[in-house]
Amino acid sequence: MTDWNAMGDAEFRKEAREFFETEYPENLRHLPHRPKFAEIEHWHRKLHAKGWVAPAWPAEYGGMGLNAAKLLIFYEEQQRWGVNRGRDMGVQMVGPLIIKFGTQAQKDYWLPRILSCEDIWCQGYSEPGAGSDLANLRTRAELDGDDFVINGQKIWTTMAHDATHIFMLVRTDSDAPKKQQGISFLLAPMDQPGVEVRTITTLSGETEFCEVFFDNARTPRENLVGELNKGWTMAKALLSFERIFIGAPNLAQNALGQLESFARGRGAFDDPAFRDRFAQAALDVEDHAALYARFADQLKRGETLGADVSMLKIWVTECFQRITELMIEAAGPDGGSIGPLQVGNVSVDVLASFYKARPTTIYGGSNEIQRNILSKAVLGLPG
Amino acid sequence: MLRESVRTLFDRAGGVGRSRKLRDSGGGWDGEMIRELAEAGVFGVAVPEENGGLGMGLAACGVIAEEVGRVLAPEPVVATVGLSLGLLRRLCPDHDMIGRLIGGDTVLATAWQERGPNGGPAEENCRYADGKLTGNKAWVVGAAEAQGFLVLAKGNTGPVLVMVEAGADGLSVEKLTQADGSTMGELSFAGTPAEEMAGGVAVPDALDEAVNDTAALAAAELVGLSERAFETALEYIKTREQFDKPIGSFQVIQHRAVDLHVTCEVAQAGVREALALMDSESDPKVRARLASRAKARAVTTAKKITRDAIQLHGAVGYTDEFDIGLYLNRALVLSAWLGDDAYHRRLWFDAREGEGAAQ
Ligand SMILES: Cc1cc2nc3c(=O)[nH]c(=O)nc-3n(C[C@H](O)[C@H](O)[C@H](O)COP(=O)(O)OP(=O)(O)OC[C@H]3O[C@@H](n4cnc5c(N)ncnc54)[C@H](O)[C@@H]3O)c2cc1C
Repeated sequence: MTDWNAMGDAEFRKEAREFFETEYPENLRHLPHRPKFAEIEHWHRKLHAKGWVAPAWPAEYGGMGLNAAKLLIFYEEQQRWGVNRGRDMGVQMVGPLIIKFGTQAQKDYWLPRILSCEDIWCQGYSEPGAGSDLANLRTRAELDGDDFVINGQKIWTTMAHDATHIFMLVRTDSDAPKKQQGISFLLAPMDQPGVEVRTITTLSGETEFCEVFFDNARTPRENLVGELNKGWTMAKALLSFERIFIGAPNLAQNALGQLESFARGRGAFDDPAFRDRFAQAALDVEDHAALYARFADQLKRGETLGADVSMLKIWVTECFQRITELMIEAAGPDGGSIGPLQVGNVSVDVLASFYKARPTTIYGGSNEIQRNILSKAVLGLPG
Repeated sequence: MLRESVRTLFDRAGGVGRSRKLRDSGGGWDGEMIRELAEAGVFGVAVPEENGGLGMGLAACGVIAEEVGRVLAPEPVVATVGLSLGLLRRLCPDHDMIGRLIGGDTVLATAWQERGPNGGPAEENCRYADGKLTGNKAWVVGAAEAQGFLVLAKGNTGPVLVMVEAGADGLSVEKLTQADGSTMGELSFAGTPAEEMAGGVAVPDALDEAVNDTAALAAAELVGLSERAFETALEYIKTREQFDKPIGSFQVIQHRAVDLHVTCEVAQAGVREALALMDSESDPKVRARLASRAKARAVTTAKKITRDAIQLHGAVGYTDEFDIGLYLNRALVLSAWLGDDAYHRRLWFDAREGEGAAQ
């Protein structure tokens, strides 16, 4: 097993760059939509063969075990080349949770299947009445012999129509005195009669997220992660993984690169005011990466992230949005046009980036909720 | 009066639901609605009475444009009033096409900009000689549905305005789909037969004036759009409950709503004033500055309001099912058309400097 951290930064960057440039298929660069697994399967196989599916997981579980500096380089090179993140909810969300709270048997069974994408995961938290107020969730799971029986509805489940498994929060005790109590964390297979998935069309006409209905769906008892009725605490731990992930520089860096080549091609840099706005965005991204590295290091040292990780997400998502707005500005009269815009030999899908940036301030805990968290838990403000 | 009758007309026809249906059936507009708008006098509002219009000026058109914006009507009201009629009434006020446009019998799309090698706007090169047109035009609103085109070209002795029928020989139209489901056309002419409508320096002057009028009217359309988008978000935050109370009870949401309301009121006041001042102003430079003032304000406002409205809706705001996304998409299109806010602030500053130097 290679110890990537022992490599010099420049050497590692070179390795990553060469790998992406030679192996990542040209036609999948800067994909404007979220691909189904079949579309990127070939690439995933290569990534898997190289052992590069999970850059942040510890090496003992098949990850690369990268330290913060290396992780940043990895992401930078990935973004620079427009490498799609793939179907990574398993790697980014459920994997870290299983590593932290799962039994040895769960680790042995699920983790390799996540890496190989034999199982493809979606996240079943939100419900129609449980968005920001997630603890309000109503989907129930009751023990029946060796199975949990699940009834209820999830919504906004990204790529559920192309997932084999769902990790979900369910209510296992309706009589608990507080909403946050009586919630459990379950893994369940999607391919069964009791699960029905309906896609929802987004405002840009994509079908990325779904409603998932559970009507006496079943999952074996051993698919409970952690203790019964203690799912909320774990979900919160997972949220900090999710927040450092959503708070990562990737999306903004990628958009910035696209903005730069597009704006240059269109001559937008002739305008000093535009140059200023670009420089501001570029520095916003650069300085954010410095802050991000601090948190990533904390994680690497095995420390639990505090509530302050929320600041990454606030900063970078809003920055990402501003960058895509600058792309629209640079597009001038094409600013309302759907599809790729050609400049010289690059083509940039301006509106696809714009649409991708919009919900980043909504999902993963809206930015308003993140601000509430920071004001209470970090600044110690009353209320 | 005008406002009520246009609002009633659109509401009876189904409001924003009608616009959604038209988008779902492939974009474009409803010919029947064009006729009804014509009967209500909409297209002739700014055309002088002696040329068959109502002679009510831009401010009155702005009132109509606001109503168009509220329901996202795809009919080319602003483009017809501002561009096609704006050009014809200035350059050939006696042409019978004016009556046909006012009567809703015909819709013309106007083509003047051209795309350069880097994809952006470039020097105009389209040529007209011996009744034939050759060259390209870009960003033509309504190109897919219009019965004909008004095209700016270089003639043998100077600039000309010519008219080309849709489907004429040697004319091809490439459609670019827009965020709101409408299309813009990229036209190419290869010896296409055309009728000369006007020639000489009056042509570019009239074009500048018509484009300014249109930008100011598009601003009014954006104001109407912003107001309705804000109302939609306001209704939503009063009813959506999280943490056992309406989200509109959280102070941060309340302050956001207030800011959007103030933004909207400022925009409405500013744009209406700019349009009224344009009616009483004859200096083209001053009118250009006023038009830029209006468009800059309206674009900034519509962008802010539609994007914040999505945020206030949470995930449902990101769906096609909720109307608020239609407002976001239409705002994208109207913002890019004829220049966004940054572009118009630049023009505004230059116009102001120019006026200062002239004094
Ligand atoms: C593209 C996309 C993908 C998603 N993918 C998934 C997924 O895979 N799995 C999953 O489980 N969920 C997913 N979600 C759902 C996401 O987690 C929720 O949208 C989010 O939690 C917000 O909930 P909501 O949409 O119900 O909005 P609401 O909670 O109704 O919020 C509406 C507005 O009110 C604000 N608000 C709410 N409460 C407060 C408060 N106390 N103080 C101040 N402001 C407040 C919010 O910030 C927001 O602006 C996705 C959402 C989107 C948009």
